[in-house]
Amino acid sequence: MLSIKRPSPTTVLYTVSTRTPPTNLRARASHGLLILARIIATVFVANVLLHEYRLAYPLAATWTDQIEQYTSTIWPLRALTELLTVQLTRPWRLLASAGIIWLISRKSYVTESLLVIRGLGIQTSTSSPSYLWSSSTRFIPTSSIQDMFIHEAFKGFEVRYYLSIVIEGEGDVVVVFPEILPRREILEDVWRGARACLYEPKN
Amino acid sequence: MTYNIAMISDFFYPQPGGVESHIYQLSSKLIDRGHNVVIITHVYPGRTGIRYLTNRLKVYHLPHWVVYRSTTFPTVFSTFPMLRQIFIREQIQILHGHGSLSNLCHEGILHARTMGLHTVFTDHSLFGFSDAASIMANKLLKFSLSDVDHVVCVSHTCKENTTLRASLNPLAVSVIPNAVVASNFRPLQPHEVRLSALQGHKSGLLPPPPDPSQVLGPGDPITIIVISRLFYNKGTDLLISALPLLLRRHENLRFIIAGSGPQAIDLEQTLDSLPQQLVYTSSGQSRVVLLGSIRHEEVRDVMVRGHLLLSTSLTEAFGTVLVEAASCGLMVVATRVGGVPEVLPGNMTVFVLPEVEDVVRGVTEAVGLLTSKAVRRDRFHDLVKNMYSWSDVARRTERVYDLITGSSPAPDNEGYYDEEWTNYGQPAQTQSFALIDRLKRYFGCGIWAGKLFVIVVVVDYLIYCFLEIMYPRDKIDICKPWPAVPKNAFEAEDDGEPEGFGEAKQKRSRRKHGAPNESVDEL
Repeated sequence: MLSIKRPSPTTVLYTVSTRTPPTNLRARASHGLLILARIIATVFVANVLLHEYRLAYPLAATWTDQIEQYTSTIWPLRALTELLTVQLTRPWRLLASAGIIWLISRKSYVTESLLVIRGLGIQTSTSSPSYLWSSSTRFIPTSSIQDMFIHEAFKGFEVRYYLSIVIEGEGDVVVVFPEILPRREILEDVWRGARACLYEPKN
Repeated sequence: MTYNIAMISDFFYPQPGGVESHIYQLSSKLIDRGHNVVIITHVYPGRTGIRYLTNRLKVYHLPHWVVYRSTTFPTVFSTFPMLRQIFIREQIQILHGHGSLSNLCHEGILHARTMGLHTVFTDHSLFGFSDAASIMANKLLKFSLSDVDHVVCVSHTCKENTTLRASLNPLAVSVIPNAVVASNFRPLQPHEVRLSALQGHKSGLLPPPPDPSQVLGPGDPITIIVISRLFYNKGTDLLISALPLLLRRHENLRFIIAGSGPQAIDLEQTLDSLPQQLVYTSSGQSRVVLLGSIRHEEVRDVMVRGHLLLSTSLTEAFGTVLVEAASCGLMVVATRVGGVPEVLPGNMTVFVLPEVEDVVRGVTEAVGLLTSKAVRRDRFHDLVKNMYSWSDVARRTERVYDLITGSSPAPDNEGYYDEEWTNYGQPAQTQSFALIDRLKRYFGCGIWAGKLFVIVVVVDYLIYCFLEIMYPRDKIDICKPWPAVPKNAFEAEDDGEPEGFGEAKQKRSRRKHGAPNESVDEL
């Protein structure tokens, strides 16, 4: 999925993403279910951690009691929490909570983008695999860009096309869209557009 | 009809050698004929990934583990996913494997047949039948060749050998020789003689190149060139035994030995053990110069320094070095083994038996011929130029492709194949792609081997089905064809090339004879 944003003639943003916008009912339903599952899991983990806090500090503030009273009225939540408390020791409980948090915060898609600004440079960015930290970006000033090209390479058991930028004074090229490695047609569009945007047309 | 062809072999540049240059030259001439060619080989130090060579030639260096003499480790199936991707993205129709010792080539042929592609195999070497290694190699060859569309051999001896080793139908085996780029192997030109005379003996120990225009007197020094890797099968033992005898018998002989290998040490030891007055001339110059390994580009410069080329190889499928030497204007003394007698006509060569006495006799005879001016060495180059050309090899190879795909030959190819040829090269039974027919062919390979091969083929087929699900075809990008090059660009290039390029040359000569006025206009 390639989307192009062109706020001004000298700036262009190419974004590729593995996320497809939910169009039909089924995609929407699964999307909604996924969000619901995440909310439930979050509440559960919060409950477990709260319980843990109460166990660790029995004389702590009374607001925890109120929440505890409130959540214990929800039967499945209480049952699951009790199950965890009875069956597992504290390190395991904490580990399980951490694991669930990791799962909740994981992104199910990757978004990568290439921002080209004439006279300034290129910024590549790859979204992080988790909501907990930000995406990794890299800015390359125009003066140090030597070339941009599309080439092929072996990756795993596949042969893929990639768009790369040659940077002055660096041994390795910078691969644009390194996670997704889009199809050749997309890469060609990006390559043409980026070159046209980066270098002023000769006239 | 143009084809998308994949050449596959473990052996390719930057490693020097006969198979390597064959693949390169054949591919570039096929591209000139309008085909799309890619080369698939494994990684070499400094050569990884996908690269383009000049002349639009694309090379895939598969990341694969190299075990022995640049052959990859035989894993049978592990190359399949990558090869499949390459075959699909390049839209390959014909897979052309080279070299019977190349594991990659055999695996490629197996997978290509599983995918339903046409396959051709070119054999470049001869093998024995008796020792354990040969029996193993022959069994593997039989496995790989039981399901190949056509086999090409570089000489008739090689064809006989391969047909026997792999129990092939002789009608499905063609002979297409190697060739040389004659323009790279020219004898010493007059201006070069003057240049080297000016420079003096700058290149160190080597004797100065002889002037081919001057005739040899009976006592003049004669330089013998030996260019060979120093392996047992190249007859280094024979050379080591014959060397002292030749030095003793002929005062005026000098040797230049180029090449390296495990037996280089034996050669050096033999030279050290000889008496001083035998190895050095009265002026203190060494009569035997060991150059070590040289690059292919340097071969010509070494060759023109000699009068004679001595080849003592014990097995040789074609012997490109002999043709190169003759093209440089050297008299050739060669052992009569393998395809060697087919390579050059008798007036350029002295054939000897692979025995020490006979090698000495042959060299003596050749020296006699040289000094008695019975041979015209200056004519050799033009003769060889007309005998061997890569464009001719490419034209004949294309004919093989036409045969296996059942398409009609290209216009300039038609004239060579009249009714006499219609039945030639047709396989006895049409090689069907159906799995059951393939299994039948493999099952016939042997009592145990047949069953093993059938299992291998079935597993390969299952892997193919799995890969079709894992990496679906429509997710694989198709490579863009190279932008078309205007036709006359090639013809302009050919003008600079002295080598006989069939089509262009014919046209030019026709133009000259038929309508002289027209050619003026065109120029």
